[in-house]
Amino acid sequence: MAVPISQMWTVATYVLKNRLNGNQRFPLVLMLEPLFRCNLACAGCGKVQYPPHILKKQLTPQECFAAVDECGAPMVSIPGGEPLLHPQIVEIVNGLVARKKYVYLCTNALELKRRLPEFTPSKYLTFSVHLDGQREEHDFSVCREGGWDIAVEGIKEAVQRGFRVTPNATFFDGTDPNHVRAFFDEVMIIGVEGVVLSPGYSYDKAPDQNRFLGRARVRRLFRAILSNRKKSWKFNMSPLFLEFLMGDRNYDCTPWGSPAYNIFGWQRPCYLLQDGYAETFKELMETTKWEEYGVGSGNPKCANCMVSCGYEPSAVLDGFGSLKGFLGMLKGSFSLYPDRHALNLLNEPMPVGRPLVQIQSPARAIEQLTR
Amino acid sequence: MTAEVQRYSREQIEALELAPGTEHEELEGWVPELATEDDLKTALEKAFDFRGDLTITLKSGEKIEAYIFNRSTGATLAESWVQYFAPNAADKRKLSYAEIARLEFGKDRAAGKHWEDWVHAYNEKKAAGEKNIGLHPDALE
Repeated sequence: MAVPISQMWTVATYVLKNRLNGNQRFPLVLMLEPLFRCNLACAGCGKVQYPPHILKKQLTPQECFAAVDECGAPMVSIPGGEPLLHPQIVEIVNGLVARKKYVYLCTNALELKRRLPEFTPSKYLTFSVHLDGQREEHDFSVCREGGWDIAVEGIKEAVQRGFRVTPNATFFDGTDPNHVRAFFDEVMIIGVEGVVLSPGYSYDKAPDQNRFLGRARVRRLFRAILSNRKKSWKFNMSPLFLEFLMGDRNYDCTPWGSPAYNIFGWQRPCYLLQDGYAETFKELMETTKWEEYGVGSGNPKCANCMVSCGYEPSAVLDGFGSLKGFLGMLKGSFSLYPDRHALNLLNEPMPVGRPLVQIQSPARAIEQLTR
Repeated sequence: MTAEVQRYSREQIEALELAPGTEHEELEGWVPELATEDDLKTALEKAFDFRGDLTITLKSGEKIEAYIFNRSTGATLAESWVQYFAPNAADKRKLSYAEIARLEFGKDRAAGKHWEDWVHAYNEKKAAGEKNIGLHPDALE
């Protein structure tokens, strides 16, 4: 597992403290969206479709700090929009690092190389770079040729400067698991700390609503991707969450595990689903009808969701909440998950549907279970 | 979540191959008839999901350009409200359902930005020999 020991210790003690205090619901990661503006226009994005006056708005550093202090989560993820377009993003990040929060700054890295000198490497700061697979897949997914090259250039520069970097990949219908595995090889060679991955979620406000994987297809895809791992691959995620994606574990959603705050307020019920806003974190936690959300609720808006912001908190709470979970997490950290059936999945034809990308050469890698 | 939404069983959810996604109505330019309280509540629920601004005419005659991002329905229209941002104001504002006389949906900001549109444009430009093909964000006019 690629997550540093100090970060794991912080999260573990935080979980145990909350458990001992009898807290039923507590946040693990604050999803802090300081703005929705972006320098990409991805068709699958539900964030950049707002009217211009909304895209021009942004949280002030003071609003960000107040939200972080009110929430109390040990980790803060800064998505968007593109956070590097925020004129005070350095001040925001420095303020969070000073608070000893583990910060994941999510960026498409189009501006990363240019902005890097303004940031200081720290164990508390990770650049989580949006990279949806290999060059062609990524460029097609973000609707911008050349995007992959710029992002990888930024990643290399960040690694060289001593920053923590985790490529962050989202996969949609039509993803070829062979290409994803080749992508892991490519990014590990660059020297990133570990990969973060997730199936796509059908954001209500996204223009495109036809490429989102259902749970059965998610499990099949991730079993093919994550079984028979190479020793060189590292993942900056809970091993139990990865097992959940592969279909080896069942979890219910923990929507309060990753609360989201943006210019509208505290988003109900989670980062992905917009069902209204609360003025304060306390109001969010106390007045949201949590039973109406998550896979167990039957809510159709939660039907395809297996996304990390809802289910990784479930996995983390399992891992640090029981001896069985902890042992499972340890085992998962070192297992390569050999699975001959999964190997066969790599050689099966792609699911019927639209291909994600027009790959020039459709030749598929056939891996052998000989490692 | 409204009560009439059809819920899935756990088995149905686990067997999903593709997620159905959200069916977006074409609401651009729509002026809903607000004859009853339910008409208004339904229209404002659609406004909450809408990806663009609306023009709200109040019973006082005042007109407001608004992006509605939040709503709460109480027992009466007076107890129900929407929360919105107006283009030329920094702060969030709240408006009672009881004050609203007319709604007009503006430009749908996501219309015409489907995946298929991107693939079509990409293939056309590629065939024409263009380089560095991409979609770019709309100008923030």
